[in-house]
Amino acid sequence: MKNSIKVERAKKNWTQEDLAGKIGISRQSINSIETGRFIPSTVLALKMAKVFGTDVETIFQLEKTD
Amino acid sequence: MEPIKKQADRKTLIYSVLWAFVYMGCLFVLKKAELSKSAGILLSFVPTVFFVLFIYHYIRSISTMDEVERRIQLEATVWGFSLGLLLLMTLGLLDLVVVLKKEDWSFINLIPMFFLFYVIGIFISRRKYNGA
Repeated sequence: MKNSIKVERAKKNWTQEDLAGKIGISRQSINSIETGRFIPSTVLALKMAKVFGTDVETIFQLEKTD
Repeated sequence: MEPIKKQADRKTLIYSVLWAFVYMGCLFVLKKAELSKSAGILLSFVPTVFFVLFIYHYIRSISTMDEVERRIQLEATVWGFSLGLLLLMTLGLLDLVVVLKKEDWSFINLIPMFFLFYVIGIFISRRKYNGA
């Protein structure tokens, strides 16, 4: 699964720390998700979509291998 | 870090240190003091109370962690448990063919190794998820 968290953050001019604070997780966890090391739960993905003001599919996309 | 998480982490740290001190204290007394057998048995169970308190606060602190941190803790525990099991299995088999020195391989000497296995697990899972 790929994601566009970095792009969405850049649009809002948010750091990883800013995003982490908005959804209540650590900066290290944001980094793990952003770099694809960890696939978040549905709840966390929805929270992320909500703070970015978009839908989950815009942030997370399935790849052919998924 | 949110106040609830901070408070849970602090309590876990306090109770882990408390348990470690009580355990070391009991170990020292049991080794050095000449106690009756019943007093010795009673003293051997004193660290259990502090260990239960530590585990209770440790589990509570896990519930305040986010999902990535929980996965790290879970994998570290799996590493720690698996390596501990492997050590006991190997020592059990070795014990059938060679005489293991009690002063090297007694339960007292094995306990720090379990802690070390958990630390190894934390290191591996942190590298996996945080890349650090």
